[in-house]
Amino acid sequence: MAVREVKLCLLGEAAVGKSSIVQRFVKDQFRPALESTIGASFMTKRVEVDGKHYAFQIWDTAGQEKYRALAPMYYRGSAAAIVVYDITREQTFRAVKEWVSELRKNAAQDIVLAIAGNKCDLEDLREVPYKDVQDYAQQKNAIFIETSALTAVNVPDLFIKIAHQLPPEDMLTSRMNTSSIKLNDTNQKRKCCGGPSRNEMGSRSGIL
Amino acid sequence: MAAMEQGVSEGMMKALGDVPLSPTLLPWDRFSNWLHCACVVTFDLELGQAMELIYPGHVKLTDTEKANICYLSFPDSNSGCMGDTQFHFRIRQSPGRKTTSKCQHQFNKDYPVSIQSDGAYYYGFVFFRQTKDRSIRRGYFQKSLVLISKLPFVALFQQLVSIIAPEYFENGEPSLEAACHDMDQWPDPVPGETVNLPIFGSVLQSRVPSRSDKVLGRGQNIRVGAPTVPAHSILPSLYEVDIYSAFLPILPHIQMLWELVLAGEPLVVMAPSPSITSSTVQALISLIGPLKFYGDYRPYFTIHDSEFKEYTTKTQAPPPVILGVTNPFFAKTLQHWPNIIRIGEMTHGSSKIFNKLKKASSLKTLDSKPGVYTRYKAFLTKDKIILKRLIKGIQSKRPPEAQNAILRRHFLELTHSFMIPLERYMASLMPLQRNISPHKGPPRLRPFDPEEFLRSLEHSGPQLTSGVKGDWEGLYRKFFKSQNFEGWYYHRQYEVNQKLQVLHMEALCDSDLVAWIQDKEEVEIVDLILRIREKLAFAASNQIAVSDESLQKLNKHMDNIISSLPEDLQTVLKS
Repeated sequence: MAVREVKLCLLGEAAVGKSSIVQRFVKDQFRPALESTIGASFMTKRVEVDGKHYAFQIWDTAGQEKYRALAPMYYRGSAAAIVVYDITREQTFRAVKEWVSELRKNAAQDIVLAIAGNKCDLEDLREVPYKDVQDYAQQKNAIFIETSALTAVNVPDLFIKIAHQLPPEDMLTSRMNTSSIKLNDTNQKRKCCGGPSRNEMGSRSGIL
Repeated sequence: MAAMEQGVSEGMMKALGDVPLSPTLLPWDRFSNWLHCACVVTFDLELGQAMELIYPGHVKLTDTEKANICYLSFPDSNSGCMGDTQFHFRIRQSPGRKTTSKCQHQFNKDYPVSIQSDGAYYYGFVFFRQTKDRSIRRGYFQKSLVLISKLPFVALFQQLVSIIAPEYFENGEPSLEAACHDMDQWPDPVPGETVNLPIFGSVLQSRVPSRSDKVLGRGQNIRVGAPTVPAHSILPSLYEVDIYSAFLPILPHIQMLWELVLAGEPLVVMAPSPSITSSTVQALISLIGPLKFYGDYRPYFTIHDSEFKEYTTKTQAPPPVILGVTNPFFAKTLQHWPNIIRIGEMTHGSSKIFNKLKKASSLKTLDSKPGVYTRYKAFLTKDKIILKRLIKGIQSKRPPEAQNAILRRHFLELTHSFMIPLERYMASLMPLQRNISPHKGPPRLRPFDPEEFLRSLEHSGPQLTSGVKGDWEGLYRKFFKSQNFEGWYYHRQYEVNQKLQVLHMEALCDSDLVAWIQDKEEVEIVDLILRIREKLAFAASNQIAVSDESLQKLNKHMDNIISSLPEDLQTVLKS
């Protein structure tokens, strides 16, 4: 059985519900007041979408500012990134724009980008209009979906849409290589921004 | 509602039940299965080396441990170590520490004997960075990130520190937090399992070694299949190091080094950097695998070490330890040592490897030429075939991994040839199955008789499995005096006696005790009950693996026996 490995990361402001979305997707659970993530949490989930098997390696990053500089380690080599905001807090959508431009600049060119407006069960408190984000996402060629980790609305759909948008498998070879870092090379220079070019990354081997 | 409009599913998705790596344990439980802590050691102009940070914060180290870690985390003379330097060390734990948890103890038992930890040592994996920095007084940034673990998973932790440290130097404490949090999601190091170890956005995959691994078969391949995540980086072994590269400068003497390590001879490695000493000392230890090196060894040792006096005293014969040193001072301090390996800067050329053996007394300073300085006379004749094969490999530019595999296999076979007669003799000391009686105490192993063993060599010695000629008997006699023999013998004896206890217990469970007591005096019956109780307690406290079924049987026997006694005695026995 061919299983397609998909490295995926979640990015976004603190307390927008990144970990809650992952909990909902992986365990179909919701816990109010999850503790804040330290660095990043790693989880795996195998799913079948339209008869194809996917193994998601999910890196759920911390939203706190002090971990900001670590983000490139997680989106580097990712096949997909989900940028999450909270529809009840305008400022969290502004952060989405920063993440999207950073990803477009530094992540792999064919990365599948998804924007998730979480907490859509709180319609009464909405600050971010649906249409605004829809237009923005279209312009940035990103998937857009509103979700609720609490009610589970659209959480599976978010990942289905991502699975559909992944480039065909035969183009995958270069992707596999980009997702590994050469572990022996201790002198490797890694800047937090302006990551290495695709060619450079592609030449690294995944096997030690 | 907008979200609902979006909710039309474009495809069908089915969850394929797999267990996420999410912790349901207490924070740091998983982390501490692998690592004790991470430390940051800095160079303070006033204080010298100083502990800047211990993470996680609740982890305790004694003052002696801290002092040792501080000194061992910096190169002795770091003028030559600009840039990044990686090495590892090993220190004694301060006495009176809480030893390993029960589950760690369980894992440890099932690791290959050679890497089982005795709980008394810590390993430190260092990543030292020294760069010019004008903003700092004296103009240098000098700092080390050190991972402290009880597990000798040298290959894993060397990789790990090389991943974490550059990130830490770039981004500071949050990256250390993130790394330790990643490790707190790692699966347990269960022997024989393939594990996925997420760290900083990538996943290391490796296999935890198990004592039931076939050492001489093909390399243990990581099983591809069931619970594994397609991994990004595969680590072939958690603990095996590249012995070929470590020994390259002294290749012609390698078989004699094997003898020295086997015989537990005092041995010191002198080299200009701790990277070289630590990789050489580690390679020496693993040369006699699967046999465990029972002596102390220090991949990197400094004059500040708390064992410095103990190990360098001239009033006693040098201790049976292996030390790696870089400080030129040791050339004088350890002048009286019988075996000294001197290695210069690592070169990967083949021109200089044919240095001759030198007399130990000719080593005067650390500037002496690379080579092996020894008074030891090898018992076995040098195996020229393996050397020729490796030299051919050098000429044909065979990759070091392949050369390493050849060399490893060679020494595995040699060690096996040496150990097989001992194992066979040991087996002959076992009592016969039919001598195990429930009505007598458990039989014990016959004592080891060296002369009897040596007489057996004529028919079933190493010559059966090894082409290496020489005075094998002399080598065995030397080996019998070493701590390696002692350690091996006690370990075997312990295992055999455990096994005998189990067999005896099973015999007891299966026997018809009620029938046996029919014609016995009351005092004999009471004695039997007390002995069975003692045995049950012993089995429980020594983790003797008797099946639950057998234990239930035995408990039932006990109840039957007790109820056959007069009532006043029953109450006494039940209380």
